[in-house]
Amino acid sequence: MMSFIDRLLEQRARSAAQQAPRRGMLKALGGVLVGASTLPLLPVARAAGPEAASRPQESGSDTDCDYWRYCAIDGFLCSCCGGSANTCPPGTEMSPVTWIGTCHNPADGRNYVISYNDCCGKPGCGACLCQRDEGDRPPYRPDKTNDINWCLGTSSAAYHCSAAVVVGVAFEE
Amino acid sequence: MVKQGLFVALLAAVAVLASAQETQPPLPVEPTGIIETLPARYPADWFFVHDAAFFHMSDGKVYLLDTDKDSIGDQVKGLFPVSLMGTFIEAPSRGEIFAVETFHTRGTRGDRIDVLTIWDTVNLAAIAEVMLPTGKRFMGMPERVALQLLKNDRWLAIFNLSPSTTVTLVDLDTRAVIGEIPIPGCSFIYANGDMGLSALCADGRMLTVVLNDDGSEKSRVMSEAFFDSDDSPIFERPAMVGDIAYFPAFDGRVQPVAMTGNAALPMASWPLFGKGEEAWAPSGIGIDSEDDLGRIYFLMNAEANGVDGMHNAGGSEIWVFDPEARRRVLRIPLQAWGLSLAVGRGEEPKVLVTNPTDMSVELYDGLTGSFMKKITGFGQETPLLLRGAE
Repeated sequence: MMSFIDRLLEQRARSAAQQAPRRGMLKALGGVLVGASTLPLLPVARAAGPEAASRPQESGSDTDCDYWRYCAIDGFLCSCCGGSANTCPPGTEMSPVTWIGTCHNPADGRNYVISYNDCCGKPGCGACLCQRDEGDRPPYRPDKTNDINWCLGTSSAAYHCSAAVVVGVAFEE
Repeated sequence: MVKQGLFVALLAAVAVLASAQETQPPLPVEPTGIIETLPARYPADWFFVHDAAFFHMSDGKVYLLDTDKDSIGDQVKGLFPVSLMGTFIEAPSRGEIFAVETFHTRGTRGDRIDVLTIWDTVNLAAIAEVMLPTGKRFMGMPERVALQLLKNDRWLAIFNLSPSTTVTLVDLDTRAVIGEIPIPGCSFIYANGDMGLSALCADGRMLTVVLNDDGSEKSRVMSEAFFDSDDSPIFERPAMVGDIAYFPAFDGRVQPVAMTGNAALPMASWPLFGKGEEAWAPSGIGIDSEDDLGRIYFLMNAEANGVDGMHNAGGSEIWVFDPEARRRVLRIPLQAWGLSLAVGRGEEPKVLVTNPTDMSVELYDGLTGSFMKKITGFGQETPLLLRGAE
């Protein structure tokens, strides 16, 4: 079990490294992402699909808490639980309701809107606990909080792990 | 010579034992089935330790500790479960504890059941249940403001986030749901008078709803905006003194809000930090509390002010303030680190703190700030939120 102090020490060390410019913080993205059908309505530029030949490059390991997509995550990394950075482990159910963060991809210099979809229906994975609260807000801002069990709209409320899905390029302010 | 001495001593011991067997009766046969009970009003040094069981959330539980004692056998008074990131509140006037929890019929799958479980404080036994609307109740990191008692402890208000936000109202006498109050765009429940509740809104305002005697809505009013949830957020967890809620802010200030009984009136904010302390800010999970002397406590982090993402990290000190004088009256340096705190009642308050470096809880003197004891090994894993017995 990764102790909370490990997490705290990580946070304190990271504080020095997180000064990268976050010009693309998407303040206007109000409300909660409800259902995949809502996503095209959001004021974000959709990322290229996985089939696109010009998919932006990423660097780092998606099992590492410092991986760029995890800037606002709080939970067990699905990449350590049988899933990946953007997929759920077998036999779980991905929550259609999420919180979001805006993370800087050092590989291409862009800021992306990341949807943190919880994977649900099995006990807590227990591996690769990662807490990074950049841009996190208290639950009175549901769209930007990681303090909620986001297994909402799923058949089971049991939290298993968290995935980090790119849902768009953040607009510049 | 030594062997001879040992032999003599052994003979003497056998003789004493034989003598005792002749003169003392054996232990009596003991009855089985005896279950301990607790006092009707929990003493001032008793605390609830909410272990959310972060790694296996269906096993969440709340330990009841007597922090005045010095051994595990005397400290642990009992526990009750709060399954799947549940919440709870104690009502001493009713001799009851209310826990909102969630189950699935097959553990982590199957039909979902959201239920209010009512525990009696003397037997710490479940005495009743109230079935709640399925899939609505707030489920997240433990909060003190997800449940509130209203109407002289006759009603329990339960915060829902599904993610639409409402409040379920339960009549505790009839043990029935009597209504649901929509609070769109707003979250949590802050008691406002005996018949009112307030909620924090994403747009920086506070909503106040006053209820009629039957639980229907009497009035609804929004405050002026007094914070920016993007640029100058406040924490959702206030310290309460009388009718004033003191909300700590990410930027190291405190925002008082007067609960008038029919509205929430924001007052002038003031800084917790002094000159040269500008890097300090509140941080942690259960980051504040109040005592019966009218003082307010904040868990403070020396590096958190202005640093994005540091607001949940916890801190190295607790600062105690006289809120009327806006003056710090005590600094409590912690042994290692603090994640949550709670303050006991009475004229000599004790402060219980979660130490996340070893997941113990530590007790401090609220008047002197001195460290008193560490309590650990009682089965806790992730004691994320603490509450003093009311």
